[in-house]
Amino acid sequence: MASLTELIDDRREDGVFRVHRAMFDDADIFDLEMRHIFEGGWIFLGLESQVPAAHDYFTVNIGRVPALVIRGGDGVLRGFVNSCPHKGARIAHASCGHARQFICPYHSWSFDSAGRNKAIKWKQGGGYTPAFDQDSHDLAPLPAFGVYQGFVFGSVSADVPSLLDHLGETTKLLDLVAEQGEEGVELIPGGVTFTYEANWKLQLENCSDNYHFTSAHPSYIRLLERRKAAEAEKAGPGFTSAMDSQRHWSGEDDEIVAGTFSFPHGHVLNFGLASPSSASALFERSDWLAQNRGAAKRDWMFNMRNLTIFPNLQVAENASSQLRVIEPIGPNKTRMRTWCIGPKGESKDARRQRIRQYEDFFNPSGMATPDDTVAYEDCQRGFASRVSPWLQGYARGMEASIEGPSELADRIDLKPDYSVSGNSRLCDETIYQSYYREWARRMAGALVA
Amino acid sequence: MSVDTIEAVLTRAEAEDLLFREARFLDERKFDGWLAMYADEAVFWMPAWRNETTPTQDPDSELSLIYYEGKANLTDRVWRMGSGLSNASSIPARVVHIVSNVIVDSCEGGKAVVLSAFVAHHHDPRSDRTHAFFGHYRHVFRREGADWLIAAKTITLMNDCIPTVADLYML
Repeated sequence: MASLTELIDDRREDGVFRVHRAMFDDADIFDLEMRHIFEGGWIFLGLESQVPAAHDYFTVNIGRVPALVIRGGDGVLRGFVNSCPHKGARIAHASCGHARQFICPYHSWSFDSAGRNKAIKWKQGGGYTPAFDQDSHDLAPLPAFGVYQGFVFGSVSADVPSLLDHLGETTKLLDLVAEQGEEGVELIPGGVTFTYEANWKLQLENCSDNYHFTSAHPSYIRLLERRKAAEAEKAGPGFTSAMDSQRHWSGEDDEIVAGTFSFPHGHVLNFGLASPSSASALFERSDWLAQNRGAAKRDWMFNMRNLTIFPNLQVAENASSQLRVIEPIGPNKTRMRTWCIGPKGESKDARRQRIRQYEDFFNPSGMATPDDTVAYEDCQRGFASRVSPWLQGYARGMEASIEGPSELADRIDLKPDYSVSGNSRLCDETIYQSYYREWARRMAGALVA
Repeated sequence: MSVDTIEAVLTRAEAEDLLFREARFLDERKFDGWLAMYADEAVFWMPAWRNETTPTQDPDSELSLIYYEGKANLTDRVWRMGSGLSNASSIPARVVHIVSNVIVDSCEGGKAVVLSAFVAHHHDPRSDRTHAFFGHYRHVFRREGADWLIAAKTITLMNDCIPTVADLYML
């Protein structure tokens, strides 16, 4: 198997950062990623607002491991491996629900909503040894489990930093999402799942990619123009996009309109500057946000922001607001679970606007995402080559990257490791370097240097 | 509304003819003909699913896979497919719709509700993959002169885990 340095050519001091194509299509590497990244560290599981009441639960995967997040009768949120200690069967089967008790459908062992074993069928007279009685028969709790601002994380490995250490400075970016509502944000009912036949890291990169927008989405951009023209003609209410108020993608600005921040542990943000505008569903809350969260935070909430919490959570606030969970299935296949998110308690009109903008842009049945996912599949085909195997997509912005915060970061007291700011044509690619540095750190024990 | 319009009756044979014609227009990529079947105010709706058993029901407070009010939005989608500006549309999938189990559920006052089942097979030559979307259609036809126009179409997509792309002509 390839060594780390054969996969990632990281020589920042020489102005070189390249990634090898094998990183994306090698089955052995994929297995190691599952074990050391998805089953070896913190994974985003869901939002606390999915389980508001006692005995509410949702199920999710941590790498290949089925997990169960449930609020006990005592109101405490807990995470478990969704697997009966008896024969291993999953005990919860629905994506979400409400249950005081789970009875394993295979041999009827039962558990309460705090994960405690309540009964073993025909325990009496079962001929069990005293050693069996000394074992716990409860559901196995996740070795690490935590919640930050309603974002629920868990790990099937105990060998992880604290959740706050893992998130680091990005807690301030999660705050920009969670604090849009007085009581946080919620998943809007109706999840959308899609697959694409390419590696999971293509989705990781795409969310952080300011460079592709005018290339991959010209049909969407032109449609916004068509709608505007039609709207002007009949002066009726037309479809807007939150992007209508934003210029960071246009390629036509020379002042600073966009940039990136890179953080430890592979977390990143790319952003574009935007002003509060009625094109955004958040506009009705603008004054409230300035008063209650401060003007600097309010202004940042209206900026286009794509946040990745490595390795599986992306919150994209651009044309609308999306929460994405990345689920790798194989080196050549990825499942995306996606939701529209919005502040709890927003008005009916704002919610409707947010939903319409979302469907148009983010759905696999909409007008932007398919142009990305089809491109991922083209990349995956190309990754088969080992002729000139080093990819050149990590070089833009290296001359513009500075250590520490930029002035834009200072406005919300954000302290990234690296910052890039520039016009709409700079389209920094050093942002991906964080992904691969964290990847290398996690895989260091599995691959030789 | 004339008495003729109000008293117009849509038979199952006529309803089948309308549904089969719509399917044929999509299969043959005759999108002008397809659009001509729709009323200007047409609502085109494909709900998402709340959970394993229930589709979303209120498009204003819940997410849909597709929700458009007005034919102009369908015209936009047709424009995009032929624009040469959409990577996902540049080599179109080959599509065959099978529409069956047709029931005229109600017909009064110049409006007819027609229920049916569909399988939409598609083959994507670029990726060499074949897939079939399946589910139920619910059409609301509105009598206009001598024609029945589609005033609303709801697609309940049963296999809603979408492999890469689901464009209008594939559903």
